[in-house]
Amino acid sequence: MFGRIRERYREAKHKFANVRVDASSYGPIPGKIKAVQARLDEIFSQCNDLVIKEISCGKDGRIKILVVHIEGIVDRRLLNQDVIHPILDYLPSVQSEDSSSIYQQLSKCIVISSDIKEVHEMWQAVNFIVSGDAVIFIDGEDRALVVGVKSPEGRQVEEPDTETSIRGSREGFVENLPTNMVLIRKRIKNPDLKMEIMQLGERTKTDICICYIKGLANEEIVREVKERLGKINTDAILDTGIIEQYIADNRLTLFPLVGNSEKCDKLAGKLLEGRVAIICDGTPYVLTVPYLFIESIQATDDYFDHAFFASFMRLLRLLALLTSNLLPALYVALVVFHHTVIPFKLMITLAASQQGIPFPPFIEALLMIIAFELLREAGVRMPRPIGQALSIVGAIVLGEASVAAGIASNLMVIIVAITAVCSFVVPPLIRATMLIRFVFLAAANFLGFLGIMVAVVAVFTHLCTLRSFGIPYLAPFSPLTAHDLKDSLIMVPIWAMITRPKILRQQENVRGVKGSKRQEVDKGRDSQKG
Amino acid sequence: MGKTRISGLQLFMLLSGFLFGSTVILAPALGAKNDAWLAIIIGGTGGALLMLIYAAISLLNPSKTLVEILKEKMGKVLGSIIAVLYIWYFIHLASLVFRDFGEFICTVTFPETPMTVLISIFALGVVYGVNGGVEVMGRMGELLVPIIPTFILIVSVSLITVNDFTAFLPVLENGMGPVLKAALSYITFPFGETVAFLMLFPNLNRKEKLKKIVFVSAALSALISIVIFFRDISVLGSDLMSRVTFVPHSTTLLFPEANVDPLVDINLMIGGEAKIGVCIYAATKAISQVAGIENYTNLTRAVGAFCVVLSVWDFENVLDLFSWTERIYSYYAITFQVIIPLILLVLSLIKRSKPAEGSDADNEGVIASK
Repeated sequence: MFGRIRERYREAKHKFANVRVDASSYGPIPGKIKAVQARLDEIFSQCNDLVIKEISCGKDGRIKILVVHIEGIVDRRLLNQDVIHPILDYLPSVQSEDSSSIYQQLSKCIVISSDIKEVHEMWQAVNFIVSGDAVIFIDGEDRALVVGVKSPEGRQVEEPDTETSIRGSREGFVENLPTNMVLIRKRIKNPDLKMEIMQLGERTKTDICICYIKGLANEEIVREVKERLGKINTDAILDTGIIEQYIADNRLTLFPLVGNSEKCDKLAGKLLEGRVAIICDGTPYVLTVPYLFIESIQATDDYFDHAFFASFMRLLRLLALLTSNLLPALYVALVVFHHTVIPFKLMITLAASQQGIPFPPFIEALLMIIAFELLREAGVRMPRPIGQALSIVGAIVLGEASVAAGIASNLMVIIVAITAVCSFVVPPLIRATMLIRFVFLAAANFLGFLGIMVAVVAVFTHLCTLRSFGIPYLAPFSPLTAHDLKDSLIMVPIWAMITRPKILRQQENVRGVKGSKRQEVDKGRDSQKG
Repeated sequence: MGKTRISGLQLFMLLSGFLFGSTVILAPALGAKNDAWLAIIIGGTGGALLMLIYAAISLLNPSKTLVEILKEKMGKVLGSIIAVLYIWYFIHLASLVFRDFGEFICTVTFPETPMTVLISIFALGVVYGVNGGVEVMGRMGELLVPIIPTFILIVSVSLITVNDFTAFLPVLENGMGPVLKAALSYITFPFGETVAFLMLFPNLNRKEKLKKIVFVSAALSALISIVIFFRDISVLGSDLMSRVTFVPHSTTLLFPEANVDPLVDINLMIGGEAKIGVCIYAATKAISQVAGIENYTNLTRAVGAFCVVLSVWDFENVLDLFSWTERIYSYYAITFQVIIPLILLVLSLIKRSKPAEGSDADNEGVIASK
């Protein structure tokens, strides 16, 4: 089945490649200002937000200059102060007939901006115009000046809603790419922190920033990230979520193979472990690769807290993960197949609560879990104030009324409630858990403990086959990397954690690139850190 | 699919899981009654030696699987014929283990479910694992195999209050005869069955550790068997022990304060998964090498299905299975487990293997280990 899907996908990709607009069809910048204006009018027809300001200069005002930008996305004050004002102030004094000398004067002396570029192709100029820069065309010149006057407007840096922490920074990423880059740079003041920008999406032209620390991140992984990003062939990138789906190693798995975060300090920590981050303009969620299973039960707070508490919390999170996956299934298996395992006294309570319930336990569990998922989804989609009312209604209807009406048993309500609470403890795996829970439930109803075991083994097998950018997903447990267990379920104190996770550079060691300066540098850094 | 590598620990876990395999549900060497522990010690020593022979064969022919060694040492035709016999043996072995576990689950937990269904479900999981390749199997072993000894120890410790520590006396009531016989059967089951690992040893990333891994896993397996034996005999007594079918299960039934037997029994099946997984892998890999098929994963489903069918067809009932295992299996298996490997060892010693052409896997291993 998957083979056929893949085939379809390939066909669609092929078609898409053929219809794509050839960017170079705009041609070079014509030398005459009239032609430029005509081209612009043609390209930007029905774009009422385009502003073309014409300025005359040179001897008798014979040479015309066009300043082109799009209303709203440029910083109006900056544009006036850096470009329009200086041109109007100084250019009339330039009495030259030579357009190229005017061009030189403009770029060297007159325009006050540190961000000036020169372009020769029309499509480049158009690109800059639509991404919020001002472009200056000069009569008689087949090149244009690009002045960076992008408006930095956007949301203020605030605390993210999704990942709240008790200790640690409250700064979260915003939608604006430069702001996000600054937020990272502020935390890692080092020229080794590399930020490479590329554009993705045929139509959206979204800016993507690949961010890593040279010398820490495995070069192989950095190259792989660039390669996979380069292979993305789509017309729209609206969110990192889309990139995530394109670059994941296994596109058909339920488990996240790419991490995402909204918190700056968390991201800085990941970068310092040698991971690569992908920031996308327009979304506050930043991707990190490689993403391993263990990261889903690590929290930023752990590192700021005492190692004992942190370790306890991690064990608790693992317990929650197992519970949220397996509890309904275990309950159904116990009630349907293995009554003998239940202690006698509990058995009596259980039998009493089961009395008069019209459904078999499996259907009962299914109904309750689906009702809960519906409530959760409604709570997410609803406007906040209504969401609260919804949860109250849900709690009363689900908890009280269903038991009173004899549709669900008391115990089942408790089971589903615990399952629900536990599923929120490990946010990255909520979605995977949500679906896998049903598989376990069905397996338990079908074959009791044996079914659960086969399903668990199958899930484990699947996890074992997964890799994230070449790193085994279940590392450091399988393959066992004793060195990395220091930051797994049990966390050693931060002062004892003098080395970074080995698994992220493991590939390098295996491939025999060992002995490079990088490692010595690392060693030096590690000892400094210690 | 290039050469995949597994680490020493992963191989150790797979070997241990393989050796725990059926022995944790069918206590081994029971023919010797009270003296089974003696038989286990003798058989364990013999088994460890036998496994060291396999390791030696693999070390003398680095980065070659059993089929390749057979073809090289015995000539293409004879080697291929023997390889086909081995394929049969692996498949048969897998079907035997399937049957063991099918009977076990059928008897203790799901008396009303048809055994075919149970075995098929079980096979689905195994085949999925084998499809992932050696690497995935190794990682699975690493994660899951430690669960088996953990459960055995938990049960043993919990039963310490109901123990009668003198139950294994008197020693050598019936002389050495039954002990030696039981020891022989203990060598063939499970130690001799590790001949299937000759298909896996070439994937080990550090060859110099092989002997140690093999020896330690054999010792561990024998140790666990002795623990199980002493636990069972001191809890059940020798009379009851010789009567029940699945001895460790009966012991688990006596777990104080709770009926945990379904939980424990399910976890013991992990060993079975490891064993069947290795057998099916060995069989499919051997088929692919004999027939020259590059990608063995296409064959796993077929071989798995065949094993399931064979396991259901083979025997009328559980008694048939046990009497066959007890009477005939040792002699049937000895050809594959002892005679052919010994011939191979001698042949390997006489004409040292020339370095394999076109497979630089061994060099890679050396680089990796540096």
